[in-house]
This record gives sequence, C-alpha cells and structure tokens, in this order.
Amino acid sequence: MNRPPSEGNSAAMKLTQTTPSPTPRRGRPFLAAPVLALLAVLTLLISACAGSGGPEPTQATGTGEVPKDVAGTVRILMENVPDTDIVKSMVPEFNKDYPNVKVDIETLTYDQMRDKLVSSFQSSSPTYDLIIVDNPWMVDFANAKFLQPLDARIDGTPAYDAKDFFPSLTDITTVDGVRYGVPFYNYALGYLYNTDYLAQAKLEVPKTLDELVSTSKALKSGARAGIAMQPQRGYKIFEEWGNWLFAAGGSIYDQNGKVSLNTPQAKQALNAYIDTYKTAAPPNSLNWAFDEAFRSVSGDQAASMISYNWNLPALNDPGSGPSAGKFKLAAIPGGKAVLGSWSWAIPANSGASDAGWAFASWLTSKVHDVQRTEKGGAAIRQSTLKDPAVLGGKYGADYYTTVEQILGNASPLSQGPSGEEMIQAVGTELNEAVAGTKSVDDALAAAQAAAEKIQG
Amino acid sequence: MTTVKFKHGMVAPLVALFVGVVGFPLGYAFYLSITDYKLTSHGTPKLVGADNYVATVHDSAFWEAFGTTATFVFLAVGLELVIGLAIALALQNQRWARDLTRSMLLAPMFITPIAVGLIFRFLLNDQIGAIPHLLQAVGVDYDFFGPGKALFTLALIDVWQWTPFMVLLLLAGLESIPREPLEAARVDGARGWYVLRRVTLPLLAPVLVVAILLRCLDAMKVFEYVFATTRGGPGTETQTLQYFVYQTGIQFFRLGSASSMAFIVLLLVLTVIVVAFRRMDKAKQS
Repeated sequence: MNRPPSEGNSAAMKLTQTTPSPTPRRGRPFLAAPVLALLAVLTLLISACAGSGGPEPTQATGTGEVPKDVAGTVRILMENVPDTDIVKSMVPEFNKDYPNVKVDIETLTYDQMRDKLVSSFQSSSPTYDLIIVDNPWMVDFANAKFLQPLDARIDGTPAYDAKDFFPSLTDITTVDGVRYGVPFYNYALGYLYNTDYLAQAKLEVPKTLDELVSTSKALKSGARAGIAMQPQRGYKIFEEWGNWLFAAGGSIYDQNGKVSLNTPQAKQALNAYIDTYKTAAPPNSLNWAFDEAFRSVSGDQAASMISYNWNLPALNDPGSGPSAGKFKLAAIPGGKAVLGSWSWAIPANSGASDAGWAFASWLTSKVHDVQRTEKGGAAIRQSTLKDPAVLGGKYGADYYTTVEQILGNASPLSQGPSGEEMIQAVGTELNEAVAGTKSVDDALAAAQAAAEKIQG
Repeated sequence: MTTVKFKHGMVAPLVALFVGVVGFPLGYAFYLSITDYKLTSHGTPKLVGADNYVATVHDSAFWEAFGTTATFVFLAVGLELVIGLAIALALQNQRWARDLTRSMLLAPMFITPIAVGLIFRFLLNDQIGAIPHLLQAVGVDYDFFGPGKALFTLALIDVWQWTPFMVLLLLAGLESIPREPLEAARVDGARGWYVLRRVTLPLLAPVLVVAILLRCLDAMKVFEYVFATTRGGPGTETQTLQYFVYQTGIQFFRLGSASSMAFIVLLLVLTVIVVAFRRMDKAKQS
C-alpha cells in the first residue's frame, strides 16, 4: 500500500510492457482524443457563458399607475446603512396599501453590494427586482442598459409630482435625457461644528475658503484638532477636497462639460487643504476616512468636520459623545457642496417591475417621504423640507433649512461614464499631494490627465 | 489495451476534478483575458488577442504594484522567518505548559484578515489607538500610515498574524530532525550558534523552503489589510497587485484587463515556484 512512487511506476511499466499493442506512439492518439474533446467542451462552455452580458434590455417601461392588488415579491438589494433601516420600518405600512406585494430586502456593505449588483445584472434570470444605485454608477449602468427607463412610470404615476424632487438629485438620475431612477436619499456634504468651541473662539461660521482655513486653525486647542479631515486615498479625499475646490470658486467640470481640475482655483484649494491638514487636523491622519473623523468629532477630539448633512442627528444623539447636542450644520463655505445621491432603479432583468415600482413610488411619494424624513431619512423632496410635521420634528427647523440650502447648490464628483475610476484616479493624485510625495502642480496636472483619459 | 484503459480510467476522476475545479476557472479567466469584456458590456465580448497583455506589460502602474507586492512579501516573510525560527527554537526547549503556549501563539491565525486589518486601523489611530498612546508616553511620534512607512506597517500586521504559521511549520520540522547529528556535534564540542548554522539549519532546509514558499504565496495575496487601512495610499505606496487587480476588474468593471494581469502574475509565480523546486532537487542530488 505504501509503496514508493517509483515502485508504483515500475509496476505500471511492467503491466504496460506485457500488453504488446500499445506503443508510446499509439498511446498519444488515445490521450489526444479525450483531451481534445475536453478542450472542445471547455471552449464551448466558456464561450457560452462568458460575457453573455445578461439579457437584452426590456423596452416596455410599464405604467406608473400600478393597481393596489398587484401581486409579487420585490427583492431589493440595499446598503447596510440607517436609511435602509428606515425603509424596512415602513414596509408594514406599504403592505396596508399593497397587501399582495412581499418586500424582501437584502442588506450588504457598500463594496459587497456593488459586486453582487453588477454580477446580478449578468444573470438572465432575475436576481433583484428593485435596486439602489450610487451616483458614480448611474451613467455606466444606464449606458450598459442594466436599468429600465422610468420616464413613462414617473409621468404616469398619479399625484407623484416628480418636479418636487431637488433638481440636483434628479440630474443624477437623468442620462441623455432619460430618467433611470428616482431619488432615494442624498448625501450632500455640509460643515459640522461644535457650537461651544466656535463660541469660545469668538468666531462665526466660516463663509469663505480663507475663513475655513483660519477657523480650523483657531479651533485647534491643545490635543483637540480644529477639524477632522478625511484625506484617505481615492473617494474620500476627493469627496472632501471637492468642497474646498468649490469654495475657491473652481469646478470639477467646466461649462462645456470638460474636466477642469488643473486650474488656479484648484491649486488654491489644494494648497489650503494641505495647509489645514498640516496645521489643524489630527496628526498622522493621512489614511483617515469617515469612521475615524466621526469618532474624532463625536469624541471631542476635533471641533469640526466636513461630512454628510445627515450626520448631525447622529452627532447630537444623546450618548454619542461628550458634546452631544452641541453640534450644528452649516452650508459649505462658499455655498456650494459636493453631492452624493442614492436612487431607486429597476433592473432590466427585474422579475417584478410593476410591484417594484409600486414600492419605490409609494416610498418616494410626497406623503410617505414626509414620514421617512420624520424618522430621520435624508431629504429628497423640496416640499418635505417645508412640511410643518418635518420642521416641527425632533431635528428642528434649522437643520432642515440648512439641508435645503445645501441641496439647492450641490454637484456630484463625476458626471460622465467610468465615474468610479475617475474619482479613484483623482483621489490618488490628491492624496499624493497631501502626503508630500508630489507637488501640488504635479498632482493636479496628473489628476487632470487621468480624468481626461478615463472620461474622454 | 485493457491495462492502458484501466490506467487512464484510474486517473480520470483526478482529471475531471482538476478540469472542474482548476481548469474551468483558469480557462474562463484566460478567455476573458483575450477579450474586451467589461462588467458593464452587453452581448458576447470581442476577441482582442494579446491586446490586454500588451497593455498590461506596458502599464507602469501594474509594475509599480508588482514591486510594492514584492517588497511587502520580502519584508513580511523575511521577518516572519527570523522571528518564527527564534520562537520555534525557544518552544522546542520549553519544558512546561507547552500545549498552552502553543495554542495561545496560534490565536492570531484564527482571525479573519479583514478583521485584523480593521483592528490595526484603529489600534494604530493616533487619537484612539493604544499603540500611538504608548509611544507618545515615551516621547515617540510615529505616523504608521504616513509616506514611506505605510507599507512597513502593513508588513508588520502580516508578521503579527502569520508568524505563528511559520512557528508551527518550523517547530514540526525541528522536532522531526534526528537527534544523532546534533548530539554528535555537541560531543565534538560544537555549541549554540555553530550547531544552529552547521547542523540544525541544513537539516531543516527542506521545511524552510516549503515554509517560505507557502508564506510567500500567501503574502502575495495581500488584499484585506490594504482594503481595511490605506486603500493603497499614501498615493500608490501600498497599492498591491491584488488591490490593483480588484480595482481594475471589479471597481472599474474592466474584467478583461484584470484577467490578463492575473495571468501574468500567475505565470511569474509559477516560474518562481518551478525554479525553486528545481534548485531544491539539484541540492538534494548534490
């Protein structure tokens, strides 16, 4: 049994030698036949399933007026965030209006969700019936015909009033004049600050880029940083620095839609960003992203941060930290903010698009958007932010007035195809400049070149 | 003829398993690597021949990532080898509580690497991390994820998690070394360092080669620490091959390009393994 391999081989050799017919030459065709057959099967199999690209797009968009007795299961893939929990909490209410629709929500972290979403598009059998789409993906998904056009549904839904959505959000869902989604929630950025520390420093909320720099420096006291920044390579630094760029009067795209990152305003913004990082941010925070910055501010180790507007309730939540209740939200200095947005969309291979639209349109209707926002959901409709129930709610009218101001003047990081790649490339160059491994001029020139190459 | 049929029949299950488990994914990846396939493309992708390979070979970012990964592997495995050998030698001479020590030592291996990455992300955080606080207490200010340091930090995280694996292999190797040569060396008056260098290490060589090879292959796959801590920064200093290929294929949807990168890495790694084994065989024969 435990014969050494050489012995085994020799035994096999002996057996082979006793049979007169097969010579090594004749052995080859014997082997070649199954190998060739195997390769042929493999090739057929591979070419059959590789890159089929999923089903062809559905032409019919269906009607917006979905009957209340529509039946089906709506499988939804969502990110594991508080806004998803709010949506989940509203499902029983939805089922009072649509009793035959089962809503099945699967939640994953951001990266897992994107990976699963993209692979689901390739499937000929439906995996999800309703999805949420992040703004950098919208153009790519629409161009790939992964999403159903929703114009007919949006226009055909009674009392839907799609014009009430913030235009900055619907701009993201519109690709080449066709609407592929409806807003789910915004993640526009704002300036979050500790009111006590600002008062102690006898300062006003910064209104310009210079004031942002000087206020951040003035708020630094002992071990406490003036501002918790997020210079991590890739998305985070670009998302944060974009606000500095807007505050300097710059833009990511010019009026002709061409990338405009190598401009005097961009240089001013990046120099100001680096100066502030070196003098007012927590030391050694070059790899910081949202989690670290939030902990720093809520833990009283930094006086301010630039982050998503809906972080204010979380910062003021009793028990979130020693300064809970002392935070306020202001518009980004200069008035213009970087905008992020999630939108509801129906995949082209959805197996229950009517029921899916019933849920998405129900949730984003005026009356239910008010309910969602009251529960802490991020705003998408202008009328919601004027609703007395929302303004008189636990988060206060001040907060919603500021959110309205922010959403009134906000732009996404990317407007074209390959948004994710462009954002990563620019974010890498910006991070190089902050790390000091590239000069500001070189980094911006490289960012411009990379963005042009990626987006054309 | 019957014998030949029987011989091939015996091998058939292995061939079938190999084709299914290794052959199909490899064949599929190779097919993708010669197409312009994007995760966002529709219909059958276009065959582009060697275009993706040519682009990868001329892509400076790919080679930069390759260099970064090689540096990481060299740093991490080198330290793991030295520390692992020292611990294994110490454990070999341990007299009491051997089981307890060994099981405790292996604990880091049981934690999933993404969790290890996240633990160190916060453990090394300047404001809330214990390690910077300890260092500051003795007057040291060190930016663990700063330029010129981040890759070294990632290598140290790998060392923390995977040195126990090295210890495990080397300890098994040390305990299987015959006693006679060691005792003979001692009788001849050899001591400590000399015995280690001239007797123990040569006898341990086959185990060392396997241990280094296994760890090198595993360290080459580094992804989770990068993902959890630096996302490839500062700049591209910690952008390893796996992270680069992941970004290209999954984040940027260019699966055709990513497959060609993966294949080039596969070829390079296979070459290194074949060379290593041939040298081992030659050494054995000599």
